[in-house]
Formats: sequence, structure tokens, C-alpha cells
Amino acid sequence: MSTHQYVVTAHKPTAVTSCVTGNFTSPTDLNLILAKNNRLEFYVVTPEGLRPLKEICIYGKVCVMKFFRPKTEKKDLLFILTARYNTMILEAIGEGDNLEIKTKAHGNVADKIGKPSESGIIAIIDPESRAIGLRLYDGLFKIIPLENCGELKATSIRMEEIQIQDMEFLHGCPSPTVILIHHDHNGRHIKTHEISLKDKEFVKTPWKQDNIDAEASLIIPVPEPFGGAIIVGQETILYHDGTNYVAVTPPVIRQSTMSCYARVDSNGARYMLGDMSGRLFLLLLEHEEKMDGLQVVKDLKVEVLGEVSIPECITYLDNGVVFIGSRLGDSQLIKLNIKPDSKTNSYISVMETFTNLAPITDMVVVDLEKQGQAQLVTCSGAFKEGSLRIIRNGIGIQEHATIDLQGIKGMWPLKMGPSKEFDNTLVLSFVQQTRVLSLNGDEVSETEIVGFQSDCQSFFCGNVNHNQVLQITSVSARLVSTDSKQLIHEWKPPTEKNISVVACNKLQVLCATGSDLYYLEIGDKIIDQKAHAVLEYEVACLDVSLLDTGTEKASIAAVGLWTDISARILKLPSLDELNKEFLGGEIIPRSILVTCFDGINYLLCALGDGSMYYFNLNKETGILSEKKKVTLGTQPTVLRTFGSSTNSTNVFACSDRPTVIYSSNHKLVFSNVNLKEVNHMCSLHAEAYPDSLALSNDNTMTFGTIDEIQKLHIRTVPLGESPRRIAYQETSQTFGVITMRLDVMKASGLQPARNSASTLSTNTSSSAATMFKGAVTAPALDIGQETEIHNLLVVDQHTFEVHHCHQLMPSEYALSLVSARLGDDPRTYYIVGTALVNPEESEPKAGRIVVFLFEESKLTQVSEKEIKGACYCLIEFNGKLLAAINSTVRLFEWTTERELRLECSHFNNIIALFLKAKGDFILVGDLMRSMTLLQYKTMEGNFEEIARDFHPNWMTAVEIIDDDTFLGGENSYNLFVCQKDSAASDEDRQQMIECGQFHVGDMVNVFRHGSLTMQHVFETSVPTQGCILFGTVSGSIGLVTQVPSEFYDFLLALQRNLVTAIKSVGKIEHSFWRSFSTDTKTEPCENFIDGDLIESFLDLPRDTMQRVSVGLQRDASGSGTKQEVTVDELIKIVEDLTRIH
Amino acid sequence: RCPEPHDRTKFDNNYAVRYTKKALWPPFGGSDGARLNRKLIHSKFCQTKYFKPGNDESFYTSVAFSHSNTTLFIGTFEGDVRPVNLILGAEEEMLVQCHESYISRIELSPSDQLMLTSCTWHRPLSCMFKYDVNSWSKVYSFSEDSHVEFSRTAPYNQIIGTKMETARIYDAETGKKVLTLKPTMSNNYTKNRATFSPTDELVLSDGVLWDVSSGKSIHKFDKLNQALSGVFHPNGLEILSNTEVWDLRTFHLLRTLPALDKCDLHFTKSGDVLYSVSFEIESEDEVTYESSYNTMDATNYSSIATIDVKRNIYDLALANNGFQLALVENVGQFESVNESSVRIYDIGRHRHDEDEEAVDDEEPLDGD
Repeated sequence: MSTHQYVVTAHKPTAVTSCVTGNFTSPTDLNLILAKNNRLEFYVVTPEGLRPLKEICIYGKVCVMKFFRPKTEKKDLLFILTARYNTMILEAIGEGDNLEIKTKAHGNVADKIGKPSESGIIAIIDPESRAIGLRLYDGLFKIIPLENCGELKATSIRMEEIQIQDMEFLHGCPSPTVILIHHDHNGRHIKTHEISLKDKEFVKTPWKQDNIDAEASLIIPVPEPFGGAIIVGQETILYHDGTNYVAVTPPVIRQSTMSCYARVDSNGARYMLGDMSGRLFLLLLEHEEKMDGLQVVKDLKVEVLGEVSIPECITYLDNGVVFIGSRLGDSQLIKLNIKPDSKTNSYISVMETFTNLAPITDMVVVDLEKQGQAQLVTCSGAFKEGSLRIIRNGIGIQEHATIDLQGIKGMWPLKMGPSKEFDNTLVLSFVQQTRVLSLNGDEVSETEIVGFQSDCQSFFCGNVNHNQVLQITSVSARLVSTDSKQLIHEWKPPTEKNISVVACNKLQVLCATGSDLYYLEIGDKIIDQKAHAVLEYEVACLDVSLLDTGTEKASIAAVGLWTDISARILKLPSLDELNKEFLGGEIIPRSILVTCFDGINYLLCALGDGSMYYFNLNKETGILSEKKKVTLGTQPTVLRTFGSSTNSTNVFACSDRPTVIYSSNHKLVFSNVNLKEVNHMCSLHAEAYPDSLALSNDNTMTFGTIDEIQKLHIRTVPLGESPRRIAYQETSQTFGVITMRLDVMKASGLQPARNSASTLSTNTSSSAATMFKGAVTAPALDIGQETEIHNLLVVDQHTFEVHHCHQLMPSEYALSLVSARLGDDPRTYYIVGTALVNPEESEPKAGRIVVFLFEESKLTQVSEKEIKGACYCLIEFNGKLLAAINSTVRLFEWTTERELRLECSHFNNIIALFLKAKGDFILVGDLMRSMTLLQYKTMEGNFEEIARDFHPNWMTAVEIIDDDTFLGGENSYNLFVCQKDSAASDEDRQQMIECGQFHVGDMVNVFRHGSLTMQHVFETSVPTQGCILFGTVSGSIGLVTQVPSEFYDFLLALQRNLVTAIKSVGKIEHSFWRSFSTDTKTEPCENFIDGDLIESFLDLPRDTMQRVSVGLQRDASGSGTKQEVTVDELIKIVEDLTRIH
Repeated sequence: RCPEPHDRTKFDNNYAVRYTKKALWPPFGGSDGARLNRKLIHSKFCQTKYFKPGNDESFYTSVAFSHSNTTLFIGTFEGDVRPVNLILGAEEEMLVQCHESYISRIELSPSDQLMLTSCTWHRPLSCMFKYDVNSWSKVYSFSEDSHVEFSRTAPYNQIIGTKMETARIYDAETGKKVLTLKPTMSNNYTKNRATFSPTDELVLSDGVLWDVSSGKSIHKFDKLNQALSGVFHPNGLEILSNTEVWDLRTFHLLRTLPALDKCDLHFTKSGDVLYSVSFEIESEDEVTYESSYNTMDATNYSSIATIDVKRNIYDLALANNGFQLALVENVGQFESVNESSVRIYDIGRHRHDEDEEAVDDEEPLDGD
């Protein structure tokens, strides 16, 4: 029973909710700033594109972000308002690595009482930087004067208008003047209020206009010389400056709901508008000069520019380049062209796309490759941006060619003949044999290099200096000309002993025969023996890699020895020993490597059991420090360096669990590769296989390219429609996906608004409305009206191709999906729960549970059950089907006639939305009444209500942690943990105890048990247990794991020290940020550790780390006595924590 | 003529649609989501429990929930308060003997450690009780105060009492009177009930708004009814005085709500839903009660539902967590009540025909 949770972000939020452009880091820098939930990203705009400058975390969900520039400032200041009403004004100080974001002013502007506006938060800044205006609560306008910075304090002004659609400050007014669109029972109206900053009051209404477009929702204030504002509605666009107005109803904006805009010119003549369907428009103010020289707006022109990702925010950068921030799809950097594309008529070309998982509406954790490495498949995005995303920890190898070859013992690429750029030859070594392959285009043929000894196993082959190739076998080192391919020179060990281990670079060779070590240098047509040393024991592994790219010669070499299991650093050319490190244990080192990541030198030493030690290496003294151990596989591991596209060093560890080692943020990262086993590998840069790798296992050799190196690798499968639910079916090797697309009523009937996964599927079927007696007829639609069409897609697990699309009835919503085996029936079914939606009803009165079988690439309906409501959730429950239908939880049996038969029901909910089961226990998540635990009584065949949480929590997701502990996500963006108390009296048992609470700051849409990392790979110092992943509305993936109470106490102490050491941007208290907060209560965070804060420890400078570690004690050995933790131990603990995700 | 704009949110009225939108537009699936959820929840009620008087009680008169939502306090005609455990459905052992006439009002402090009770005629008219070692004991009596309330903000250490047109503020620790607010000229509301504003900075009594720190009156609202002085809206912006909604800052009349005429008002904890039930009407020869209550969206005063329970409603109480509603339902004339009960309803739940757990009238949970 664990009550302590560690929660951490595994993938940061990706939805862009706000973007601004301005001169932030200097008066001449053009900066783009993006807000992604609680993170800010700072970029500088360069001719080459966006260059990231900095990324910071705010202790709050960013609601509004705006630039402004007081008259006295040369650059812009950034105003931020969070969802919990913290305001701040930020300023950039310094540049480069010293760039700091300084909090110039801050303050919380929340009221003790007051009804937060349900239409959202509005914050506006006077164009002359005199004041900030806020609408947080209904009926109140708050004003923050900007005269003197310091604490930001708001004063409330009573505002008659309650329902405000949008609000802005007007330009060119002697006193700050707001313009707003408000709504009452007569319609929508615009109104202006002039504010007296002295009296903090609305002093007059300069002008107003009643009864404007009934759907008017957007105000664009127009700068001088025109002044006034543009009001964007669904049908009309209106310009009004108090005296003159111009209204247009351009046909191109019909069917559009404009959601955001960006100003193009500083004089306010052109604007870009983005609508909810992803269309981008240009709005042009045509003006004329009056007799008195006054500039007056004469007409408004609107033009369609083209299609982009559905925008949440738009900002114009420079030179026709625009950033499209999206929440429902990938964000984009686009360029506006002067002439439209002749085919598409679009003025837009996409320059760069930024991956966004948001909103994650559902996900599954599956191990498709059966390698103990799970991947996450998410339902991401919505409408035309809908997609499936396959997320895996680790690196993907794209296979390009495979050759069946058994028993490869080594592989090396060569450039033979005139080739300077590309490898054209590949040497393969086998037991007592060396074979040479010639790579000609994508043709591979066997060839011969006459100077090579081919009846021997090669230990090394490679291009060396002076247009020569070196082959080292057990007998000798042979120097061969790349042009003539003839042997030039041969070196043999002076004794009869065979060469056992070698290491080379282009100039230097190390050869070991037992405990004799020879240092050779390659000259023009000569191999020169420079030194010889007899080591204490036989050499097990060797390395002479170059640490600096600029040099040709290594000054040190690394050796691993048998018998004493040591790693030694030798000085070159003398072979004098600089340092000796005993690795301990009895497993001999098999592969040793010196390498440099991010400017830090490392020694890596892999052992015969698949584990690896790594050290920081001082290349002058040979001293090794910060010893760490990691388990990469279970068999002997071979380490090889390879270059990646970014030119940084990477190491490939060949083993039964191949791993790529690289550095991120000055930390080593170990990323799995999606291959089962790799015995040997080498880089290959051939004409047909550029920037590739050759990889071999016992039976085959593969040429492949490696994906861009990053910890989480994301693959996108675009659907073009909204995915809602996903289920995995192992038997048919498919995913079931519920999707929604929009169809438009045309004169000829309903037509899909655009092509998408469901319309492009070759196999289709549909539920005819007549099949079902409870069906409501489809609502009569006007021409041009849109309606939602729901589908079940069956998608191939390998190719993600849609095998089949089943379309549901008109006005039937598919809400739930499960893949299940029922009763004694050996088949596995896809089962869909639906609702028939009638807009006149407050909740569905009818629905269906439909059972489908996917067999031999065909989907057939096996059975359907009429139900009295919406089926919000379906799960398999001990061979039966458990369904949440409106307020009830119902259990269905699968009869031998293949029909669903109701067995029992539970009624005690408002709306049962979520179900999870473990054994006989069922956890129910309610719309508003938190969580309930039910037990199914097999004997009685009914449900018993075991325990209930009596707090009003509006649930968004639930999960069972263990038999007694339950995790919930609720819609004020909090997580909480409840426990049932088995030992308590009857009365107490029925009440769940809320024993943990935490503010995530993001809405959790789904929980799934599972982990993205290989389990038990690392020797870990952190006792975490279990792993629940969650996906959020902002596209972040988090995880919750359980920690024992001693470790919790330790982490809590570390967290406390970190809170004092890390300055919070905006000066929001960490305890405030993580406190459980709803509209009725705020309570401190309890029994949760903020993993994001803990892991930020690793980004601190060493002296701060030192300060943070002071006073931290831990009983690591379990002896009962606590010991002070050193900085290095602390780094190890936190690094180990980062490895659970 | 231009076509009417399409109402893209028409389908949002159906919860299943909002459910699918919620994952995209948190937290409620659109800007109308919260309002529509209120409408969905506060229009449905399902009776789950039922209590009837024991042999030593004649009939029930008032009801209150504990803040922990686990105990129900039922006031009787005899002047007793009966605590009932809601989870087990069993009664607590001890009956609290509070007054010598029927209990008109019960209020628990947020800690559930203190209880205020009021009765109609025998003095003391109001008392404060304290919970200690499994029993309630009387701490203070407010002999003349016909109505008492706790302050609204932590540490909840004040009590405001009403004696005719006069409001008196007491220290809850000591029981001492700290402030008296007496209007120079009374409005003579028949049911004046002095009450604290949500921030405790203001008091409304006898139709007059008082500043607590200075003890001075700020504004006197026009008297447009005979009975009610008014209550504060939890949003802190308005005063509801019988059918009138006044702006608390400008004192403008914002709107008139005829549905609230002569009603006791109960707000949910979040302050966004208003429950109203008519209080008893005393005419010359009889007292009449309403048999229905209303729910209203308190953010825009749109009516949600009217629920007729077919019995006279003597009192209404809302559970703190918003899960339940308790009604004192009696049949027959006052003083000749021939069937009395307190009924608990689940808010937001329909009664299912097949709902096995629904409690039938034939099986009351009582103290016998």
C-alpha cells in the first residue's frame, strides 16, 4: 500500500497557447516567445530561422502573455497572467549563456470571493502602457496601473456588462479606453469605457453600437492614424471609430469562426485572421484622405491566403514569415508568398513544423516488438489535425537493406580507389575468414583486396593516412594501398604469440599479444613500432580514440585487463601507466572507449555481463572520477562511436539490448534502439546509404539510418479527422480507433468536408439507421451546416494503414471502445459504446453497444445491444463486459448465442464516465461525485459499494494504483489519491480517505499503467514502484510512481532545499503552484513529490548543488542509521530518477 | 434576407456532446459547459433516504448537514436536535435537548464542533452548542435573538444575532457582544435576519448595509416587501432582497425575480446555484406551506427546475459537497401534522425504475 507519489513530466507540453513577437533580449533582436502551458520558450529570429535561446518553467499555467513597451524603455517587457491569477512583468537581462529572465514586477490579483468568468480570462494592455486591464470575474473589470512597477496591484471596477466576449484597449485615447463586445438577451453590442486612472473608475462611455453581428467575438484595435477597432463576426466584419463605420459581409468568411489575428503593419493597415478550420485570411483596411488631411477607413477587403494548422494564436515575424501557434495540431513557421501557388491557390509555404501531441484524448501502452520496451500510441489533435502518434523512448533505426549472412565477427567501411567522400567497400570478418563487399550504388557484390589476408579473421580494417588501408589479423598488421590494393608493408609481433586485441585510429595502432602491448604508428608505406610494454595481466580490451577532433594523435590510450579486472590509462607514445582503476567484481571488461561528449571526456568500459561503468576522464592526468554503472544488456557489450547528423559524438553499444549513448544537457543519456540484437556495427557513408549504419546479428546484416537522436521518439500518422478512443488488439495485430469527422450538408446530401482516414479507407461499412428501432432520425440540416460523423477504424499495427472503416448512424456518437474476449468465446472482439444524440435532450436516452469481429481483413458486426443512454466507458471484466451507461454501471454476460445479456447494475452516480478494474474491484469515476469503489460479488451476481470519496471532484480520469489506493484527475487540473481503509469500522470504510493531492496545472485526459523505459535495466538507487502514465490536454505525458515513505521524506527534504535555491520566475511560491486548488477550496500539496522540481537539480551549477545537498540524510543501506548524502550521491539519485521516464 | 447564423453550439445541450469536447476545450467542453452542467445536475433529484420521527417526537421542523456531510441534524417540534449518521443510516445515540419550542433553524460551524440553534418562542430563543467527547453541550444562550449565524470567513469566530430590527455581533469564543447595529428608523421587516457578507466586512440587517469595522450604516435599500431584509450573493457583488437584486457597489436595482417572492434562499458552496423555497404564510386562521422548491442558475438567474414533492416543505438544507439535499416534509396542518419526515435526495440523479437502492416510503430509517 503506497501513499506517497512521485509525479514527473516525461514529455513536456507541446500545445502553443500563446505567441508574441517583439524586441525582448535587446532593442535589435527580434524575438519570438511561445507559451506552452506552464513553459515559456524564447527564440531569436535569424535569417536562417528560429534559434532557441532559453526555456523556462513558470509556476502556473500561462493564460495570457503580452508584450508591451513603456515610453522609457528601448525594448519590450513581457506581461504574463496565470490561470490562478498570478501576474508578472518579465525583462531579459544579459545575453548568450548569461541571458536571464528577471521578474520586474509581480503580484497575485485574485479576489477572495467572486465568480470566475466562465467565458475565460481576458487581459489587455493599454497601447500607451498606462495600465493593464483584466476581466477575471463576472461583473468586474480590474485595472493595474503601470506607472510604478513593483508589486502589481489590481483595483476592481464594477462593470454592468456581465457576459463579455472580447475586450481591448483603443489606440490614441487621452485616457485609457476599453472597447468590449458584450452579450445580453437582445444580442451582442459594442461599448467603450473611458477609465480614470486616478479614481479607478469608468468615467464615461465615448461611444457604443448596439446589435452588431450575433456571433461577433473578436476585437482588433486599430492603431493611429485610423484608430477605432475592427469587430469580427461570423458574417460581418465591422470597422468603427466612434463616428464612422464600415461594415462588410465578404462571402469568403461565411462558415468561418475567426479565433485569432495578427497585425502585419505597425500602421494597422493589414491583419491576418485565422479561423477554427485552419484557414488564414488577409484583412486590408482601404483608406482615403479627407479634405482636412484626416486618414479615414473607406473599405475592408478580405482575401483567403490558404490553409495552415488550426491556429490558436498567430504572430507576424518579419519579411512575410509568420508563426502559427496551434493547440489542436502541429505549430508552423510559414512564409507568405507574393504569388499564389498555381495548383492550390495558396499564398502559403510551410517552412518548419513543430510536433504537438495535444490534445491527447486517449492512449494505449503496447509492446509491439515484444522486446520489453513499450511504446505509447496516442489519439492526438482534433479535426483536420487529428493523428495517431507513436511515442517510444529510444531511437528508431529505419532499415533500408538486409542481407542474410551468418557469423559476422566484425565490420569496417573502406574508401577504396579514388573515392574520397563515400565508403564503397565493406569488410566483413568471420572465424578464419575475411570477406570484402563492394558497394556500387545500391548493389552489393563480393570482391577482393589482393593485399588482404582473406583466410584469417580480421580484428581491424580501416583507411589510415597516406591513402593506405590497414588490416590487422591475429598474425600481422598489413598496410595496403587504396589504389593498387597491393600489400605495401607488414608488421608482425616480434614473438610467436598471436595478436589478440587491437585498437587504431588513422595514425596510431595498439596491438596486444597476451600481456605484451605494442604501440605502432602508420607512416607512408611503413608501420613503425614505437613502444612495447609488458602489462601485469593479459589485455582484454583496448582503445586509442581521439578526444579532440582537431588533433591527429591521441595522447592517451585505455586498456582493460583480465585477472585484476582493471581499467588503465596509458600515456602515449611511452605506454607509461597514468592511472589504474579497479572495476571490482569478477566480470572481465570486454570493450573500452575514451570519448568526448559535449566537451566532457569520458571513459566507458563495458563488461561481459552487459553492464557498463563510465567515468569522467582527465586526459592529462588520466584520473577517473564520478564512477557510475549502468546495465545495458545481459551479454558482452561492444562499444562503437558513430557520428550523427548533428555532428556530435554518439556511442553505439552492441548487445542483446542495443543502446545509443549520447549526451544531453551535459548528462549521459542511454537510449534503446528498436532492434532485437546487434553484435557488431559500423558507420557507413556510402552513396546509396549515406549517413547510415551497418549492423549485424547472428544471421543478418542490415543497412539502416538512425532517427534524429532524442529521448522520446515520435512518429506521426495523420488521420485528418479527430481520434477519440484507441484500443489494441493483439490477435488481429491491429488498433481500433474511434474517430469523428465533419460532414457538410450539400444540395446532394451529406458530404465529407474533406478527405480523411475514414473517407480514404478502401473497405467500408456502415450502421444503417433502420437497423435499430431506438434510432432518432438525423436532425434536419440546412445547406452548409456541419454535422459530426463517427467511425470505427481498424488500423494495422505495423503500417498504420486503415484496413476498414465502419461508419455509425447519423447523430450517433461513438464514446467508448474496448478490445475484449468474452466468456468461452475464443475470438477477440472490438466493442463500441455509442449514444444517440438529440440536442433537445440534456443527456442521451438511447445508445448501443456494438460488437465487431475483425477477421481476415474484414470487419463484421456480430451483435448489438440497445441501451438506455450513452455508453461512456467499456472495459473487459473477468470475461464479461462492464459498461458505464449514463448514471449506471452495468455488467453484461456474453451468451452462447453471441448476445450481450445484462447481469447486474449499480446506480449510485450522476454520470458514470470512467471505469477501471482489478480483480473483483471496479473503480468508477463520476462527472462530479469523485470516485467510488465497487466489488463484484460472484456468488450473488451483484455489485456492492465498498467505498466512496465524498468530496466534490469533477473527474477527468481515474486509475487503480493497487488494491487499496486510487488515483484521480479532476477538472481544475489537480491529481489526488484516495485510499480505502480495510481495517476501519464500517462507517469509516465506506468513506475513502483522500491521502494525497497535487496540482498538475494541466487537464489529465487519460491514465494508463505502463512505462516507456526498459524495466530493470539500470542498477538504480531509487526505490520507485509501479508506473502510471498520463496524457494531457496540452500534449504532455507525465508519470506517477510510488515511493516508500523514507525515500519520500528524503525527496521532500531535497524539494524543500531546491525551493529555496531555485528562484521562481514571477516569484510564485512553489507551494502555491502545487497546492490542490478548485473553485471551492485550496489545500496544500500532500504526499506528492514534484519530480519536475527534483530533476531541475541536475541543471544547477555545482556550487548550488553543493548548497542544496547540505543537511540531506538518507539511510541508503537500510541499516537504520541515516548518513549525510554527498553531492555526487545526490546527482546519482536524481539521475536515476530521470531514468524512470 | 441573410440566413440566420448557424448555432454551432446547439448540440452542446446534450451532455454526451460536451463530454467529447471536454478533452479539447477544458474544463467543461466549451464556454457554456459549466452552465449546462448546472442545468443537468440541479434538475434531477432522487430520494435515497427517509427519516421519520420516533415515538417521543411529534414532528420535524428543521434540518442541517454537518460540513463533513456525514451527519444530519434534525430539529423537532419539541425543541430537540437529533443527529443522524448519514453513511450508516443509523441514529447517533444522544438527542440534544436545545429549546422548549420547535427548532426553526440549525447551523453547524465549518469545523462541525459548534452548533447554533434557534426556536420560535420560549427563551432563550437561540443557543450555541459545542461538541466534546461524543456529546453536545450548551455553551451560550442568546436569549433575545430569534436568528443567529456564524461569520463567513476563517476562523469563523463571530456570531451575528437578530433581535427584531437590531443586529448584534458576538465573539464566538467568549459569547460576549462586540457590536450592536441598530437602525435609527426601522424598516420593520417581519422576518429580519442579520447576515454577514461573504467577506465578513459588511452586514445586512433590516434592509440596511453596515460596515462592520466602523459600525456605521452605509446604505439603506428601498423597502419593496414586508418580510425579508435580504441576503448577500456569494459572488460578493449583489444583494438578493426578496424579489430584488441590488448591486452591492452602486446600489442600483439590477433586476427583479418574481420567482423568489417570500422565499428562503440556499446557495450551493460554489455559489453558482440557488435553491429557493417559500416560507410559511401566516394568514388569520392558518399557516400554509409550499410543497415545491426551485433551482436557479445563480450566475444569470435563469430558472433550472421546479420540483413538487407533494408535501409541505418546512425546511431545506444542502450538503456541503453538493451531493445531497435534505427536506423536512410534513403532511397536514401545523400543530396537527399527521405525517412527518426528513427526506434525503441525491442531487443530479434520476430515480431509476430498476434502482434497487431507492428507498420506498414503506421502509423509513427511523429511531425505533
